[in-house]
Amino acid sequence: MDEAVKTAGTSAELEVPATMGALGDIAALVLRLATRAGLDKGAAYRIRLAVDELATNTVMHGYRGGDGRITVRGRSGPGRVQISIEDSAPAFDPSRGRLPPDPGTAPERRRIGGLGIHLALTSVDEFGYVRRDGRNISTLTVMAEGTDPCPPRP
Amino acid sequence: MPLSVSLSIEGDTTVIELAGELDAKTAPDFHQTIEKAAGHGTSTVEIRMAGVGYMASAGLRSLVFAQQKVADHVTIKVVGAIEPVSRTIRTAGLDRSIVLSDD
Repeated sequence: MDEAVKTAGTSAELEVPATMGALGDIAALVLRLATRAGLDKGAAYRIRLAVDELATNTVMHGYRGGDGRITVRGRSGPGRVQISIEDSAPAFDPSRGRLPPDPGTAPERRRIGGLGIHLALTSVDEFGYVRRDGRNISTLTVMAEGTDPCPPRP
Repeated sequence: MPLSVSLSIEGDTTVIELAGELDAKTAPDFHQTIEKAAGHGTSTVEIRMAGVGYMASAGLRSLVFAQQKVADHVTIKVVGAIEPVSRTIRTAGLDRSIVLSDD
């Protein structure tokens, strides 16, 4: 962890049931931290989207609709937000589950699963995953000065 | 934030107007409207998204669903999407089959 973030940043933690209804609370936390870090609208949107996609994936596929909890820890420092998402669902490394759009297949015929994870991973500046003590821990970072890898509008 | 969805017909265009947030929780409402729109048989389905402040991959699934529901000759247009929403559509490559328009 960047020392500047530790000393100058603020942190927050939220534990919610793994349900669709809890996704709004997670988004509110992420946006609050993004505001504190001074991220512009575009960067705030990207970190919200990334966290939302991974949390939605945990609700729908990780726990498969069963009971579970999601813990979100966030830290904001000058110009950067780092969020970790933890769950105790079966081991799943999002960076191995992404499915970039296949240019050879018409969009309406494509498998759409995995696209949310692709969106999440292309929205952040840094991504890390560890499996520790039976928990999945994904860590996502967006920086105010980060680079949006998506090509600009033609 | 909830999603509001309205459906109308303007000439040979079926217009779906969305406002709010389009995510895994709200996308089912959009799906229902797409099914109705597909039944209208117009040559264009125009989805007005200027009021959508946030769209997750569930919204992309809805757009793919729309492509699957309408006949081959029907054009699907997404109109007025804010830049991050349009970015999400481009990231998925859907801009190759859906017409993205500012207005």
